[in-house]
Amino acid sequence: MDFDLILRVLPYFLQAAIITIKLSVYSIALGLVCGAFGASARLSRYRSLRVAGATYVSVIRGTPALIQLFILYFGGPQVGIQLDAFEAGVIGLGVNIGAYMAETMRGAIVAVDKGQFEAARTLGLSHVRTMRKVILPQAARLMIRPLGVNINAQIKGTALVAAISVVELTYTAQRYIGSTYKPFEMFLLAGALYLVIIYVVGLGISFLDRKAALK
Amino acid sequence: MNANSNIFKAAFAAGAMAIASLTAASSALADELDTIKENGVMRIAMSGAYPPFNFVNEQNEVVGFDPAIGKAIADRMGVEVEIVTTAWDGIIGGLLANKYDAIVGSMSITEERKEVVDFVGPYYRMSRGIFVREGSDVADIAGLDGRKIGVTLGETHEQWANEQPGWDVRTYKGLPELLLELDNGRVDAIVTDDIPVLVAIRESGNAITQLDTSGLEGIADQAGIAIRKGNPDLRKAMQDALDAIQADGTYMMIAEEWVGGDIR
Repeated sequence: MDFDLILRVLPYFLQAAIITIKLSVYSIALGLVCGAFGASARLSRYRSLRVAGATYVSVIRGTPALIQLFILYFGGPQVGIQLDAFEAGVIGLGVNIGAYMAETMRGAIVAVDKGQFEAARTLGLSHVRTMRKVILPQAARLMIRPLGVNINAQIKGTALVAAISVVELTYTAQRYIGSTYKPFEMFLLAGALYLVIIYVVGLGISFLDRKAALK
Repeated sequence: MNANSNIFKAAFAAGAMAIASLTAASSALADELDTIKENGVMRIAMSGAYPPFNFVNEQNEVVGFDPAIGKAIADRMGVEVEIVTTAWDGIIGGLLANKYDAIVGSMSITEERKEVVDFVGPYYRMSRGIFVREGSDVADIAGLDGRKIGVTLGETHEQWANEQPGWDVRTYKGLPELLLELDNGRVDAIVTDDIPVLVAIRESGNAITQLDTSGLEGIADQAGIAIRKGNPDLRKAMQDALDAIQADGTYMMIAEEWVGGDIR
């Protein structure tokens, strides 16, 4: 183990970790939006929306995220979509995780006891008000843990964008291996930084979950 | 769907196609030299994992022969240079997708590549080397029959190795992976450009030896700078700049610094 080398390159790995965090934050934010739309569409009263939501979820979940990134980044310009690597990474990863989040959200909404919905409608609340005032507040609590699982997967999934030339943690390690010939140290360092990020995020999610349960 | 929305969709599609053909036409007319001059920046791509030609130093800066040549050419053209590192197997795809303006990344000039990109140069000469572990029972090329051979996906050596009868060819992402696989015994030999391997042996002390390939045909390749087709002005400007840095000694200085001698 070359600890001296690890210490010397650590500052640059930390900079790369910031890129990984940015990719995670932006793509997760986009994923939550896509997920909310996807879940609403799948639970809609309108058939066309249900079909659209189901198509989104099954196409995205049925193809590798790496292929989706390649299509967006390398194939995009052919159809007039010109994105730089970071933008393509955020959009590709965000739309991807959105499909998984849609299913997570839908699952939580469906898990709220059906009697609640019927009771609210019987009391004269509209469909929209029933969802907003009765169902969603309860579903939100049920979503926190499983969304945490999606978020955890997404942070690790950002490593994929190394393949489209975003110099984040994984690609930084790969580049350093090219000149230092030390794969063990470099991948270990990258792995350790992922672990730190995931650990901190995990603490945050547990905190939210406990807070929601106390209500 | 009613009739109105179908008409709307058709109109929309027609409009989109009109815009697409307009932009295609305008980009075909304008030479990219103008765009580069306008932006003041030329974006050049390389793998970043190919010492001494291009690699990251400990300060995480991309340095080496290729970035130095790219920068010298850009200087001559009066623009800044921006370096992009990307995986070798997707590097031409990225150029065609307009992610950068040129590949200054030790790419050998081949007929197949010439069909999709134009080349400036050549800017150095490379030779194919075959390397085995020290103490390996493979003494010459004939001994490679039935052995596992490592090559980099997308390199000219990959195709060449596949044409050799009896070789069990495995492809990898790049030279670092090749060196690791040779070292840990997952492959018996690697086929790649020789200078980077000789540098790696010197730097890392890897116990690797080169097989004698002096009797082989076609082991020399020319490295060129790839640009998108249809840009004669850009090609000429870059070629002029390359010629100029060779004439005024800049090229030699760069070659001395990174490779230790003239490699033309």
